[in-house]
Amino acid sequence: MIILFVALPLVVAAVLPLVGRLSRRVLPDLLANATLLFLLVYAAVAGRALIAGGPVLQHVAWLGEAVNIRMSLDGFSLFMLLSVSLVGLAASLFAIDYMERYGDKATYHALYLIMIAGMNGLVLATDLFSVYLFLEVAAVASYALVAYGLGHDELEAAFKYLMLSVAASAAVLSAVAVIFGLTGSLDFAAVAAALGGLDAGPAVAIASALFLMGFGLKAALIPFHAWLPDAHPSAPAPISAVLSGLLIKVSGVYALTRIFLNVFGLTPALSAVLMVLGTVSLVVAAFLALGQKDMKRMLAYSSISQVGYIVLGIGLGTPLGIAGGLFHLFNHALAKGLLFLTSGSVQHATGTRDLDEMGGLAKRMPVTSAANLIGALSIAGVPPLNGFWSKLIIIIALVQAGEPAFAVIAVLASVLTLWYYLLMQRKAFFGRLDPKWAAVREAPFWMTAATVLLALLCVGIGILFASTVSTWIQPAADVLADGVRAAAGSWGF
Amino acid sequence: MIVQTALLIGLVLFSVLALLVKDLLRSAISLAAASLLLGIVFFRMGAPYAAVFEISVVAGLITVLFVLTIALTKAGDEVRESRIANVVFPLVFVAFVVIDALVMKSLLGKVPALAAGAETGSFGEVLWRGRTFDLVGQIAVILAGVFAVLALFRKRDKHD
Amino acid sequence: MTNTWYLYLFFAVALIAAGLLGLLARRNLIKLLIAVEIVGKGVSLLLLSTGLDRGHILTAQALVITFIVVEVSLIATAMALVINIYRHTKGLDVRKLAKLKG
Repeated sequence: MIILFVALPLVVAAVLPLVGRLSRRVLPDLLANATLLFLLVYAAVAGRALIAGGPVLQHVAWLGEAVNIRMSLDGFSLFMLLSVSLVGLAASLFAIDYMERYGDKATYHALYLIMIAGMNGLVLATDLFSVYLFLEVAAVASYALVAYGLGHDELEAAFKYLMLSVAASAAVLSAVAVIFGLTGSLDFAAVAAALGGLDAGPAVAIASALFLMGFGLKAALIPFHAWLPDAHPSAPAPISAVLSGLLIKVSGVYALTRIFLNVFGLTPALSAVLMVLGTVSLVVAAFLALGQKDMKRMLAYSSISQVGYIVLGIGLGTPLGIAGGLFHLFNHALAKGLLFLTSGSVQHATGTRDLDEMGGLAKRMPVTSAANLIGALSIAGVPPLNGFWSKLIIIIALVQAGEPAFAVIAVLASVLTLWYYLLMQRKAFFGRLDPKWAAVREAPFWMTAATVLLALLCVGIGILFASTVSTWIQPAADVLADGVRAAAGSWGF
Repeated sequence: MIVQTALLIGLVLFSVLALLVKDLLRSAISLAAASLLLGIVFFRMGAPYAAVFEISVVAGLITVLFVLTIALTKAGDEVRESRIANVVFPLVFVAFVVIDALVMKSLLGKVPALAAGAETGSFGEVLWRGRTFDLVGQIAVILAGVFAVLALFRKRDKHD
Repeated sequence: MTNTWYLYLFFAVALIAAGLLGLLARRNLIKLLIAVEIVGKGVSLLLLSTGLDRGHILTAQALVITFIVVEVSLIATAMALVINIYRHTKGLDVRKLAKLKG
């Protein structure tokens, strides 16, 4: 029943306001987290068994009548579902304490679950229009979540985000219309089959350019990144974590990869464009991050930079490169989620995000600062944490594919990453404790629990990286490496 | 065909007018007029359901939303639009339209004919056989909109 | 390729261009939303005319209806944001929203 991944969060979201009448805090918290926990367990335990015999294509029957809700689950989508539920759960646990001061938790959880349902729907979709539709579901929910604090900055960031996001979805939908006109079909498999026997270079190029612009905006690749450094820091911390950790990857990277690799097929030109875009984002955003004073803004630029790594790896198109890119996607989701959550803990305790005002917080918030250190080292690629292995795989893949120049840039940018993260550590957590933070205490239980959970995962996956790669990443990378055949062959119609 | 062309020209003119007119209320009304024309175009294309939606929802509901917002934000009326933009906008737009006319023609010539035949059956059948998943998405997006509005207009108790 | 398709596509792209220009040139928040609406009209005309020419008008019609539903939801959210922004800045000028740097 893979429709549960979409239907369950929606149903729970719809009843949450009623539940919120009965109990303002406890029941909504419990219900939302239980839903996400259920989805996580379902994806982790049942998922692999479901796709053991190849991709699952589900047709839903309603009261004996086939209603033809068609969704498919393969290695790649299962991997994304797992990432979404895992980081989604951690951020939602964090929100139990963090969202206390924002009020109206039932509505918050409802919007959050709708965003999760949107991402899951996008991941399970089998046709181009559904991709657009679920992109919008997640986006509409995220505008409200970014503005949830209702302060000036939040509203401004949300409006900017909305404007750029609308441009992105217009580009995506125009591309869908072009493909619909070319092939007379919207289904991934049918489009892939039709495009294979079609000689329509310019029209496909236009569609590719529109998709690249739309999903590039969603993934905040440079030069489409202008909205992200505003939107992600302004949102409440758990939302920043989910936006940076999941939303840009699902509605940007996942959709881009699925369509370019499985439907269009990766041409050398497209591969070159993706690699260059990835590298530019990776380098430029790293330099921009270096100059930031606002902790969450630094993290936001770092997200752009790390998405650059992912796109570089996937754009390379070799099986190893794809595996490295996907592994980095997963690791970055965990580590960036962790970093944004700890930044939320710090903001919760001190009321500021300005790195210059902090200092010595490690003495007052030992757990938070340890978790933050693990996340920072993981993203910077310090062994034996998970981020190290994924970056290593990407760099090996680049060298193997005969792209040493890209490999050198990737290594150098990684040094830069380590530099700005150490800068953040030094300014925020180490050094002399400012007397005005003498009364600061460790974050409340659920906030700490969520960060500890993610930190343990970062360490654990770093140690068990080989088995993680073989159980979760490899099946996903296989689907992508299969290219057009994956769509046309295995979801056969 | 001539009627259709006239309707389309009217549609573009009203849309551009909606962007250029100073008064917001007039702007919203030109937008509604454009929607109405688009609805008629849809109807004449043989898409009556889309036409009904375009007229009732876009020309109706969305216009109501616009007018409501304009009424609620009345004092902020006097936003000075930049003068240069007002001059440049029509010029650039005309240039775009010329490019559009030229490029589109050559592009369309390259689009190959379709192998598969046209679809058959009624609208209801196509909707329920082919696009049911969209209905789930529609429900989700409506829920998202409803909760977004609830969240943005909620009473703030403690925060800020 | 048919001439009717050319006609529709020409106007659809003209609408999208007008909307995008509006997004770039206007400063009033509500004007920006009107520009968004115009882009939306262009895209729905694009979808429907494509469907008409390729013999898939029924599917295209279903897509356009879904698109309109999405648009309503989006505009409602955007309006709520605009009204909230108005409460903060007492104006609708996009330039007043310059506290955050890109």
